Amino acid sequence: MTSPAAIPIPPVLRLAAATAVGAVFWLVFLPWIGRQPAVDRHVQLMESHDVNPAAMVYTELEHLPLRPAWIERYLVLWPTGN
Amino acid sequence: MAVDPGVGVSRRGFHEDIAAIVIGVALVAMALAIGWNARPADDAGNRKTFPKGWPTPLAATIDKPQTWSDAPQKALVIVDKKDPTKVKPVTIPILLGMAWVVGILAAGTRLRGQSPAAVLPGAVVLALLGGLAYLMAAQKVINYYNLEYPLWALLVGLVIGNTVGVPKWLEPALQGEFLIKAGLVVFGAEVLFSRLLELGLPGLLTSWVVTPIVLVGTYLLGVNWMKIPSKSLCMVISADMSVCGVSAAIATGAACRAKKEELSLAIGLSLLFTVVMMVVMPPFIRWAGIDPIVGGAWLGGTIDATGAVVAAGEMLGRELDDKRPAEVAATVKMIQNSMIGIIAFAVAVYWAGWVDRGATGPKTSLAAEAWRRFPKFILGFLGTSIVCSWLYTTSPELSLLVDGAIGGFTSRLRGWLFCVGFVCMGLQTNFRELAPTLASGRPLVLYCVGQALNLALSLAMASLTFGWLFKQGVTP
Repeated sequence: MTSPAAIPIPPVLRLAAATAVGAVFWLVFLPWIGRQPAVDRHVQLMESHDVNPAAMVYTELEHLPLRPAWIERYLVLWPTGN
Repeated sequence: MAVDPGVGVSRRGFHEDIAAIVIGVALVAMALAIGWNARPADDAGNRKTFPKGWPTPLAATIDKPQTWSDAPQKALVIVDKKDPTKVKPVTIPILLGMAWVVGILAAGTRLRGQSPAAVLPGAVVLALLGGLAYLMAAQKVINYYNLEYPLWALLVGLVIGNTVGVPKWLEPALQGEFLIKAGLVVFGAEVLFSRLLELGLPGLLTSWVVTPIVLVGTYLLGVNWMKIPSKSLCMVISADMSVCGVSAAIATGAACRAKKEELSLAIGLSLLFTVVMMVVMPPFIRWAGIDPIVGGAWLGGTIDATGAVVAAGEMLGRELDDKRPAEVAATVKMIQNSMIGIIAFAVAVYWAGWVDRGATGPKTSLAAEAWRRFPKFILGFLGTSIVCSWLYTTSPELSLLVDGAIGGFTSRLRGWLFCVGFVCMGLQTNFRELAPTLASGRPLVLYCVGQALNLALSLAMASLTFGWLFKQGVTP
């Protein structure tokens, strides 16, 4: 048995196919996933706390994690000369 | 990221590293100067009045697509959280963000002695593709599960490169290495050494003791025990896993001249495991009955990406109605963020002095050979970091100037430079080169073993410092 010769797909058609798959994924599948209760709860929690999970470094966070107040009050670990 | 060693002024223009330093330093200096010029007249040193630093006029010249769930056009407006009827369009700042990248590409090309006109058409297309990648990353499910923009920028480039290929007219603009180097010099402004002490001794112990041990241990494991042929792949995987994910991978990848394919693979691994750890670790900590503060420090020391650390800390604190896990997690991760410059410098020195020299270099003096091979743009990265760290500690006013310049301009610009840089890398990536290594599964095993070591050591150190040595200090 011989396998049939592969029919070359034109490059533009391949790009169009990839774009179509991407469009369905982003415009149909992801919005549907986003409506699932568990995912929706996670998104709501992040939004309500102004958390940006996609932050690459701390400067992209909504709130800079400055030295928390409770540490100022209770944690005397770094000698200040007092 | 492989580039020819050597630096200086060539017959026609500057070396790529020098061009990246000149442009990066100029942009940071411009941001600081404009921020200073627009300083507030009243209450300029009060952080409560300006929690994110002084507002900078440059913020109006750059932004990125906002999060959206089902209608991508919503990415072009900022909706007021208190009053959803108030919307602010950001189309112009997004287009201007693309224009910054085009301008930087043209200026870099000119500094290197070539004609900027040749890169302009390609630069415009690359900037638009960067915008598409940002738009894909801004979808809420993607955004809130930490699948960061470099992944989509690489994907956009890979799809185009592997379907229609790269047209000839686009090739002169494919300067991904230059964009990432310039982005790293700008990024230096965000790496503030002064933040290393934010959490005092326990935070330092959790970050500074565990991170180098895991970094070096994982690298040696990959090179000596698992016999992974590429040392740079081992280094990039070790750095993104032990330090802080994608940003550490970019910095160390550039420092050790990792291949584009290696950096892409390391980033993919990091993002995949970050999503899993962000979701799994908070319930595990609650289930195991680990102290919330210790758990927060453990999250900060182990989850790769900064945003995912804060998200996991929030999830951990949600049921406990306690903000401390998120605060400790974020601060431990911030300390690790601040280590990127030092680690990238150490990796660059090690690579120039030992790895590259041992592999191919002539047996000249170590210092001379190391300097010849040293990636000079790292000096620009360290330079902007040192200057901004110094300014940050000088006075309350200058700390607000630095925060405003970073938040309003340099971090956004760095994001665009990285994003378009990754589109270029995707267009040029050939995963066939990595096929034998990928098929062996060894990079995945290396990541898993290294992460297991990281999890064990971080938990031990967090328990020792936050849970025992300084427990009295962290218990209100």
